[in-house]
Amino acid sequence: MAVASAALDAQHHEPVDQLYAETRDMRLIGFLFFLFSDVVLFSSFIFAYLYLRNSGQGWPPQGVPRPDVALAALNSAILFGSGATMHYALENWKHGKFFRYAGFMIATIILGAMFLTGQVVEYTALYTKEHVTWGGSGIFGASFFTLTGMHGFHVLVGVFYLITLLLQSVHGVYSKDKYFGLTAGTLYWHFVDVIWVVLFSIFYLI
Amino acid sequence: MDIAQIERILAIAGGVIVAVVSAIALKNDWKTPGLDNTVFKVMLALLCFGALLAIFAGAGFLGTFPKAA
Amino acid sequence: MAVAAVHTSGGIADHIHPEPQGFIRRYVFSIDHKIIGIQYLITGFVFLVLAGLLAELIRVQLMNANGGFISPDTYNEIYTMHGSAMVWLVIIPIVTGGFGNFIFPLQLGARDVAFPWLNMLSFWMFPVAGLLLFSSFLLGAPVAGWTEYPPMSLQGGVGTSMWCVAIFLVGVSSTLTGMNFMVTILKMRAPGMTFTRMPLFVWAQLATAPLSMVATTALAAALAALFMERQFGIPFYDPARGGSPVLWQHMFWFYSHPAVYIMILPVFGIISEVLPTFARKPVFGYKLIAFSSVAIALAGFMVWAHHMFTSGLAPYLQLPFMILTFTIAVPTGVKIFSWMATLWGGKIHYTTALLFAVGFLALFTFGGVTGIFLAAVPFDLHAHGTYFIVGHFHYVLVGGSLMGIFAGMYYWFPKFSGRMLNETIGKWHFWLFFVGFNGTFLPMHWLGFLGMPRRVAEYDPQFQMWNRVESVSSFIMTFAILLFFINMFVSMRNGKKAGPNPWGGRTLEWMIPSPPHYYNFKNIPTVYALPYDFSEPLPYKGLEDELNDKPPAQLAGAHH
Repeated sequence: MAVASAALDAQHHEPVDQLYAETRDMRLIGFLFFLFSDVVLFSSFIFAYLYLRNSGQGWPPQGVPRPDVALAALNSAILFGSGATMHYALENWKHGKFFRYAGFMIATIILGAMFLTGQVVEYTALYTKEHVTWGGSGIFGASFFTLTGMHGFHVLVGVFYLITLLLQSVHGVYSKDKYFGLTAGTLYWHFVDVIWVVLFSIFYLI
Repeated sequence: MDIAQIERILAIAGGVIVAVVSAIALKNDWKTPGLDNTVFKVMLALLCFGALLAIFAGAGFLGTFPKAA
Repeated sequence: MAVAAVHTSGGIADHIHPEPQGFIRRYVFSIDHKIIGIQYLITGFVFLVLAGLLAELIRVQLMNANGGFISPDTYNEIYTMHGSAMVWLVIIPIVTGGFGNFIFPLQLGARDVAFPWLNMLSFWMFPVAGLLLFSSFLLGAPVAGWTEYPPMSLQGGVGTSMWCVAIFLVGVSSTLTGMNFMVTILKMRAPGMTFTRMPLFVWAQLATAPLSMVATTALAAALAALFMERQFGIPFYDPARGGSPVLWQHMFWFYSHPAVYIMILPVFGIISEVLPTFARKPVFGYKLIAFSSVAIALAGFMVWAHHMFTSGLAPYLQLPFMILTFTIAVPTGVKIFSWMATLWGGKIHYTTALLFAVGFLALFTFGGVTGIFLAAVPFDLHAHGTYFIVGHFHYVLVGGSLMGIFAGMYYWFPKFSGRMLNETIGKWHFWLFFVGFNGTFLPMHWLGFLGMPRRVAEYDPQFQMWNRVESVSSFIMTFAILLFFINMFVSMRNGKKAGPNPWGGRTLEWMIPSPPHYYNFKNIPTVYALPYDFSEPLPYKGLEDELNDKPPAQLAGAHH
């Protein structure tokens, strides 16, 4: 990349921006495809869960309680809130307001960490009070812990991803016009939120 | 007041804030062009919907609650 | 800079990677799509030899009704590994990673794929996965067939878990390749190359890429669940603990039926390039062939349960799956008839590539027709689990995909290497392969009708005569493939020099030297029409300098 853009840079400025614009478009589409395939991964497990849930054993299976809706509702509000703060972080970056951007990013990271804490609390309660485990509670353990765990893993990755992005933007990796990394981060975080809308509905509400 | 009730009240409060904020963000962004912004708009709409679900769950309209311990 | 005036967007099309330096960057960890394509082909052919030898072990065992060559347990391991390797390590990587990588960026007029580093990563997952899969022989290979149905797959040795990891890795590689190809086709077409001016091989890749992307991810979920169940005891599939073996079948076939089209659609693309070139005639029904690929890809997602008619599928589900499966024959038939109409009245050049393409037409159609038989529920209930199935899918995968791969090799080998494959050996290869193939797989259909079950190490003595015919024919087929490898090794060094365009092809890859420079095109050409109108002048501008010694404008600019 460096050789060709340097060569073009020597002539006039416009081509470099053209290269950036086209590269950005390709990365955007590529990233959306990546998120889409991740959606398929979740959908497959969701299909497996719904299939097992309707396989005639009753739900939840004998000896397993329904998970706690109150905690889950709070946790959902926290995660959805982080989606909103992430949105405003990007908006502020686009308008060049760095400090407000950083504040919203930090808020997003904290809310993400709070969500993970909430999940740890929920898992601990299920294990200590009800003795529900991943492998020992039939299809409930299998589907609940696999899906929410997979989602939690995505949130964990997302938290580290956002921390990396924040550090990168402090070090001047992104500019007011060239900030694809932040767009990708926002897309990823929204994706994690939206997956949770589905998981929340199918595990706690129906 | 036990922990579950506090959680439910906080869920409703948080849900209301998120629903309002994401609806406003959606309205502000409504006319921004571009593929990324289109995706953002869909995401914001779903976020708003999710916040409504959280409110309803907190209020007890949706979902079955475990028996009081 | 005068030449650059043809097209200077300054964008990605004008961007040239620095020339790779040193052996490692040039041939091992290369980011050049052409090198990666050849890496895929070589690795795929190595696995073709290994999996082919496994097939020969199967045929030797079946020479006698009471077996005796290898133990039944080893026999189970061998047919499982033969199937898994052929599907995931041979056909899919060769047709998407191999031919796809090398050919379609050239046909698009692009300098590389959209994400070259990702391309390198996808490739290197594939040999690692292959080694993992084959090393499971050391720890007790999987024994439940390539479909690995639970509960049998839950009982196998450690090898089954290794199988899960290996196939998961190939799956990730295939998914990443699919994304990469999608973005490349959507964003990196040469100026003027609209979707309906793309060569048909590119259309085939465009239809395949979303299948690799979506279906393979679904397989990853199924494999992850199987792995978790085996290693950590998480009950997904074990009926004794509340799971469902039929769930695996749904998840597996939701991938593996589209996978059938991942294996065949790129080959349709190869055939669509070979036939017009050697018939010297525009391809018949360009849009029909292009759009029917997409139709097949879409419909392929809605037919998976036709593999499960005997698994207790509810009758109200059997009927729609049966009808949807029948409808896939329509776009496929559109293709077959378009290809036949392409040949009709053409000035046909009987090269080896064309022979393989015509052989493909015959054998694939035969396999497609038996596929229609099997889609019918009453027939499937009778033939399920017999040698009829084995005959059917070998007709579409060997007579279809592998014949297409050979057609593609004879057609594009000059572009890969700069030298021609020997046509005399090539024709021996074709005829021996064709005869050996039919001798091997045709009798399987009637053996299946008579009730010979698949996946057994010993069988009723009444089937012995035809099994011996099959085994002897399979040795002929193997000998033919040996001829092909000899041909490649000899021609790579001593073959006739090919020049840029030995066949008179009209797609963009034939407009540049063989093998191409690392930057593919000196100037990105502008495209004015479809490539296939043999009576018209070439529909490209800006290719004047491709065959002379001038360096590309970008590199010339860098020196001054």
